[in-house]
Amino acid sequence: MLDIRNLNVSYGNVQVLWDVSLNVRKAEIVALLGANGAGKTTLLNALTGVIPLRSGEVEFDGTRIDGIANSDIMERGIAYLPEGGRLFPEMTIQENLEMGVYPRKLWGTRKAQLERVYDTFPILRERKRQLARTMSGGEQQMLAMGRGLMSNPKLCLFDELSYGLAPIMVREVFRIVTSLREQGITVLLVEQNAYQTLEIADRAYVLENGRVALSGDSKELLANDYVREAYLGL
Amino acid sequence: MTTLLNIIIGGLIMGGIYAIISMGLSMQYGVARILNVSHGEFIMLGAFLTWTLSQAGISPLLSLVIVSPPLFLIGFIIHRTAFKRLSSISGGGAFEGNAMLVSFGLMFILQNVAMIIWGSSPQGYQFLVKSVTLGGATFAVNRLVVLLFALVISIGFYFFLSRSRIGKSIRAASQDPIAAGLMGVKINRVMALCFAIGALLAGLAGVLLSMIYQINTAMGMSYTVIAIIVVVLGGLGSIPGSLIGGFILGLVGSAVSYIEPSLQLVAYYVIIMLLLLVRPKGLLGR
Ligand SMILES: Nc1ncnc2c1ncn2[C@@H]1O[C@H](COP(=O)(O)OP(=O)(O)OP(=O)(O)O)[C@@H](O)[C@H]1O
Ligand SMILES: [Mg+2]
Repeated sequence: MLDIRNLNVSYGNVQVLWDVSLNVRKAEIVALLGANGAGKTTLLNALTGVIPLRSGEVEFDGTRIDGIANSDIMERGIAYLPEGGRLFPEMTIQENLEMGVYPRKLWGTRKAQLERVYDTFPILRERKRQLARTMSGGEQQMLAMGRGLMSNPKLCLFDELSYGLAPIMVREVFRIVTSLREQGITVLLVEQNAYQTLEIADRAYVLENGRVALSGDSKELLANDYVREAYLGL
Repeated sequence: MTTLLNIIIGGLIMGGIYAIISMGLSMQYGVARILNVSHGEFIMLGAFLTWTLSQAGISPLLSLVIVSPPLFLIGFIIHRTAFKRLSSISGGGAFEGNAMLVSFGLMFILQNVAMIIWGSSPQGYQFLVKSVTLGGATFAVNRLVVLLFALVISIGFYFFLSRSRIGKSIRAASQDPIAAGLMGVKINRVMALCFAIGALLAGLAGVLLSMIYQINTAMGMSYTVIAIIVVVLGGLGSIPGSLIGGFILGLVGSAVSYIEPSLQLVAYYVIIMLLLLVRPKGLLGR
């Protein structure tokens, strides 16, 4: 479904990603792990046209999307939840959700989609007139997910969904991610929280200094000595 | 009583016009990051185009719709040519400063072109010079018409921003351009749109002003100053702030100029200084 081949990305003269290749199959949860500064966010930004890529190919759903404008990814069926959620702070919850179907083609579906998202996240329905900036961190994360799901995406790119959440919220968020797979939605999950992520992911890639250092089935990685030591602290 | 009513009506007229021009400036600064010093020149253009049309017998009410599309288009084209290019060649932080300088240039160009076309003496036309008596007080009909349109335009624009799909995309883009981009908002187009809307609102304000005041080709600057005061008063980038700030300033201005017209601008500065001491970010800024 998503196929990345030999991706290179630089900021000015500093190369951050080196020949990264990665693929995600339909209805799979693939985790992308790595320490701070490994280049995980950079990878997602490059995929979605937020930053330019230097070379490499990206194929999604059978079409090349490298060099795509970031304003086109949603219509392709990709929802990207950037690090920190990036909500619209001065807009209400409902308005934030509505922005999730902004493209003209999707705008007409907003009533039905709002209901669907409110059913998944009842807390958002209760608070729909509240400004996004006045919500708690956990609620904001729910809203970010809800906004991403408004467009019925085929692929979700999640950057550190669990960041800053209490353990119980992390479980809740991961439960929702797992339910996406059941609905046939494909997920690429960037996380620091290696242990819990590997528990729900089918496969994982480990990024080190901008290169893919390891990849494989989650179960194998959970058993891998190097991963246990470096990423699970066991 | 009659005096008070007159002060209030006068205040609402000025307030409505201030609100319109300030929301226009807010559009240009809040999203497109251009502190448009030539804003007042678009007001002047709106006023003079209306005057020219009035000489050909076209009612200024009709000018509201005739004059606005070209001004919108001029704004759009100016952004698409000058400012878009400017933002691609000036790195990150330099754009705002450069954009302001360009808008200074634009101010001189527009003002001089207007001077060549219309000269520098004041102009005016007669529009609805009748009066009506309401509740024992007498009002000029043209002022009431301007009041009505100022309210409709300023409040209507506020609802456009808060309710419509395009309005929401504009607000989203001003709060987080990258996230808005990920939602499918074409950020360059929104910036051009905002600049154009700013020009349009300025033009509409100019049409309204020409219905009740004498106009001259150098009138723009003072309105730019007022728009800047209102935008700071309301809170940078806050559209409801500009709306409310415009009406506050208009009402105060009307009251002060009843007592002593020459103190109007002084009063504005006093208000803004006092407010900034209490609320450095303006009424609704954060
Ligand atoms: N805009 C930028 N300009 C220059 N260098 C950058 C920029 N953004 C990121 N970098 C650098 O690129 C490298 C990778 O950063 P990136 O944000 O992709 O890491 P990450 O894996 O997402 O880290 P974290 O887990 O902390 O979010 C880092 O060394 C970072 O300093
Ligand atoms: Mg990151």
